[in-house]
Amino acid sequence: MRADISPRTKVALYGVMCVLLIPFVFPTWWMVTSSLKPISDIFAFPPQLVPQSYDWTTYSKVFELQPFVQQYWNSAYIAAVVTVGTMIISSMAGYAFARIRFPYANAVFMIVLLGLLIPSEVTIVPLFQMFLKAGMVNTHWPLILVPIFGAPSVFATFVMRQFFVTLPAELEEAARVDGLGRFKIFTRIALPLAKPALASVAIFTFLHSWNLFLEPIVFLSSAEMFTLPQALTQYTDAYGGPMWNIQLAAATLTALPVLIVFVIAQKQFVEGLAHTGLKG
Amino acid sequence: MADVTLSDIRKSYGAVKTIHGVDLDIKNGEFVVLVGPSGCGKSTLLRMIAGLETITGGTLNIGDRVVNDLDPKDRDIAMVFQSYALYPHMTVATNMGFSLEHRGASKAEITERVNWAAGILGLGNLLDRYPRQLSGGQRQRVAMGRAIVRNPQVFLFDEPLSNLDAKLRVVMRGEIKALHQKLKTTTIYVTHDQVEAMTMADRIVVLNGGRVEQIGAPLDLYDRPANQFVAGFIGSPSMNFIEGKITEAGFQTSGVVLPLPKSINTAMGQAAVYGIRPEHFRLSDHPGHAGVPAEIVLIEPMGPETQVTMKLGGNQVTGVFRERINSAPGEVMHVSPEVGSIHLFSEDGDTRLN
Repeated sequence: MRADISPRTKVALYGVMCVLLIPFVFPTWWMVTSSLKPISDIFAFPPQLVPQSYDWTTYSKVFELQPFVQQYWNSAYIAAVVTVGTMIISSMAGYAFARIRFPYANAVFMIVLLGLLIPSEVTIVPLFQMFLKAGMVNTHWPLILVPIFGAPSVFATFVMRQFFVTLPAELEEAARVDGLGRFKIFTRIALPLAKPALASVAIFTFLHSWNLFLEPIVFLSSAEMFTLPQALTQYTDAYGGPMWNIQLAAATLTALPVLIVFVIAQKQFVEGLAHTGLKG
Repeated sequence: MADVTLSDIRKSYGAVKTIHGVDLDIKNGEFVVLVGPSGCGKSTLLRMIAGLETITGGTLNIGDRVVNDLDPKDRDIAMVFQSYALYPHMTVATNMGFSLEHRGASKAEITERVNWAAGILGLGNLLDRYPRQLSGGQRQRVAMGRAIVRNPQVFLFDEPLSNLDAKLRVVMRGEIKALHQKLKTTTIYVTHDQVEAMTMADRIVVLNGGRVEQIGAPLDLYDRPANQFVAGFIGSPSMNFIEGKITEAGFQTSGVVLPLPKSINTAMGQAAVYGIRPEHFRLSDHPGHAGVPAEIVLIEPMGPETQVTMKLGGNQVTGVFRERINSAPGEVMHVSPEVGSIHLFSEDGDTRLN
């Protein structure tokens, strides 16, 4: 196929791809460069694609105006706990739905899937009441428990189940003959082979938790408990107007770990696929 | 090593019965092949012996123990699967040592056993590879290595050669047989390929529709099949069957009379099925003197022999001749069935009549 493309077509294709790239790259470019500009330069006309002057103090102000390190840590550890918890719960539940025969398994799975159809805006008020009674408002528990046992985990369970359904039954039978019980089969055979599915679960669970906005603003009220998306809204001047350059500097710092996690997990994802040997 | 005894083994899925009471005594060290067409229940039977399927009725003994309700791991068996079922994320050595590891063997013991098995199967230089880096034949050998490494009482093979190409299948067939001769472990082997069954088995069990049709040594089954099903299943090209009637003059079928064997335990005038293997036709040198006229339909020279499709009266049959055939399709030659090698079956094919 590739050999059939003439150099001229190739150049044209690259041209089209570069144009298509603009909507994806420009916002990031604008975020990073504007975080270094004085506010007046951000709104200058014509727009400055490359900053005329650099103001590095915006980054130090990010840490002065908010307990940003604490908030960073909040987001990071919540996302980590939610990711690991979801991976454990969804892989076990997905395996059970795919492999263990029990009465009404499919009906139960359907009921679990229904959880995906209910928007979080609908459940947030009853959840708030529930956590209020449990004394967990303005703690991180709601941000950890709701994703692990709620809709995000349901979706992860669905992904894991679909993977385990395709795992050859003979592998498990061989393991049974080799002397493994159900739990060992899960941990030693099924789970290591599920790396690609687990990697994608990890990516979207981490992103979901990291970007969570509605739940933090409902459940959290003190700055040192805030998570990053919530903290970003707090960089305002005395009149409530956003301090754009500082806010964009904080946004740049917020986006950075997500990019890193994605790059690492993507590598894991591809390696996992090759490693299982399930393809071909 | 152990005897395996099946007594009235049955299997049903709800109301559907798939195995209808199988009795089988497999002696210590014996190589028994379960053979039959697709859906005959041979794999189900093997999986019941392995413990991967529950046993609905009857008793299964391995050695002195009744194992009906034991887990596969407690039956002291090893199984080679059709797809090999090697763990993709483990090296050859880990795959082979996996069961020992789970039975609490020491590292030194695992290494020793794995090296011993690898030595027997010629896998010594492949121990660090992953299954995906191996060819079909090598994967097959690793699957066998995984089975022998733990020195189980019984080996179970579930169509282990069906994923290999024809040439490799012949090679691996020999290797499995040689392995059995070396280890002398009781082996139960499932295949749908009657050539595999004939070449490998000490005894063959022919299954059909969840029932045992016949049990016997390969050549006994070949020479004296108990019914028309076994006669047709064992042997390639398969036996010719001609429908007709037993008379004083011989076997009367459309247009020709064929010679009958001397001892027949049925009455004259009875309708029956006349069975003759392709290699039991002889060319008759004196037309009109002996033999029956056969119109040639197709000639297929194989080299050492020639396969001829021909018409005996109204019946199309296949003959295999050591001689070169110099006639052409449409011409008539004379052939005579070897009287001593004729099989007579009842009209419904269920009973042998000679």
